[in-house]
Amino acid sequence: MGSRREFITKASGVVAGAGLVLAQTQSPAAAQQPLPEGRFKLDEVRARGKLIVGVTSEAPPFGFIDDKGELTGFDIEVARLIAKAVFGDENKIELFKQGFAARWPNAQNGTVDFGIMVTTVYADRALQVAFTRPYIESGIVVVVKKDSPIRTVADLNKPEYTVAHLTAPVQEERGKRFYPNAKFLTFDAISSQFNAVKLGRATAAQLDAPVALYYAKDNPDIRILDEWLTDVTGNAIFLRPDDFKWWLFLDTIVAEMLGGSLWSPYKGLYQKWFGVEPRRARAIQTTNKG
Amino acid sequence: MDYFAQTIVLLAGLFPKLVAGFVTTLALALAAMPLALAFGLLLLLPRMEKRAVFVIPTVSFIELMRNTPLLLQVYLIYFGLPLLGLYPSEFACGVLGIAALHGTSPTETYRGAIESISQRQWDAARGIGMGRLKAFRHVILPQALLRILGPLGNQLIILIKDTSLVSAIGVMELTMTGKMAIERSAASAEIFVAIALFYLVLTTTVGGALRLIEHRTAGRY
Repeated sequence: MGSRREFITKASGVVAGAGLVLAQTQSPAAAQQPLPEGRFKLDEVRARGKLIVGVTSEAPPFGFIDDKGELTGFDIEVARLIAKAVFGDENKIELFKQGFAARWPNAQNGTVDFGIMVTTVYADRALQVAFTRPYIESGIVVVVKKDSPIRTVADLNKPEYTVAHLTAPVQEERGKRFYPNAKFLTFDAISSQFNAVKLGRATAAQLDAPVALYYAKDNPDIRILDEWLTDVTGNAIFLRPDDFKWWLFLDTIVAEMLGGSLWSPYKGLYQKWFGVEPRRARAIQTTNKG
Repeated sequence: MDYFAQTIVLLAGLFPKLVAGFVTTLALALAAMPLALAFGLLLLLPRMEKRAVFVIPTVSFIELMRNTPLLLQVYLIYFGLPLLGLYPSEFACGVLGIAALHGTSPTETYRGAIESISQRQWDAARGIGMGRLKAFRHVILPQALLRILGPLGNQLIILIKDTSLVSAIGVMELTMTGKMAIERSAASAEIFVAIALFYLVLTTTVGGALRLIEHRTAGRY
């Protein structure tokens, strides 16, 4: 990975250098001329008449195959909202299923216009791709049964309690930090973790916040602790890092979804998948002085 | 550091964890094996009955266990029993699932072996005054057991390999330990090969031991 990153850095350096030479040789008037059609992804997408979006089919409720065999989920529907913003038609979209490892090269080389697949923003990732602002907040939460005596994470720190983890070692590390005296039980599927809590096999489980909301929506006997195990992280749309016009467009759409002109459809999607209202990024200025 | 040295360092660091996983796998197999063999014998009596009232439920149960995936059975036991208010440990559920599946397959093997013992053996045993049960225990079963050493050995080796499925219900056995290590190091091929070697040691030991017994007892009876 390191060597590939170095290569990309060097290659982009060469390209940028060449651009600099060109810019210096061009007259100021020539620089003012409009850019050729199709040079930016936005122009390419509009000329093509549909979006090509990289998604996952393996992460409910974000992207998965439903009972009817169709690809659906929160991420998929946000992508459709963007298609509607570009073309006025949410069906002008091609959903390109890709593995989690393939998402980076596919975004960089333009196989997909952008990717939207439960992707957390991290600094090292931002060196490789461009991110819009997050369209959903995430983080790790603890779920327990509704009638459980557990109120805080600290309550779990007793030998008589069992916490269900996923095979991800980071979950075990959090466990050792926050409730070292509890017993750990490790599963290789999120559904098993959830079932373990529901059936009383485990006292609690570590889940991604939106996934926990999704399960809690259909299972009223489940409660999410108010205290989170991690800081709030963000899932964002990612795209090639060198296309400002395309990035600006997508970021604007996301900004509008989070509290502007696209707030209503976005809020509708959020409620449909997670059962609660999202936190609105822009508050309404109250005109009532009383 | 070159690739080879890097892999050695990685695996050496993981070794204590893998051994701990291996011990759990061994414990699963050792607990499930006698249970499976006993379970098979237990089912043998109703299976060899002539009356339909015994045979039909026994055969139905055997077919149900033999023809559904072990993973499904393990899930069903682990997540199903709590609905009845029972909470056996992950380990116990795993052993139960493995023993139930691998106990039903030998029943058919036992039956075949017993039926292959000549009727004259029965007649002779009865002729010297043995009862039915005594004849079975002292004359028929010992001969039949020798005949099934081969197939039984195969069954035990499959049983050992099937213990890996119990990782699905959170038993930290060898495969699960490896999966955890892979999530951290992303060295899937190297770790899976190392795990395979652990299984290979166990299965070849068991297979070799059984072959030795077979060899030693060849020609008896």
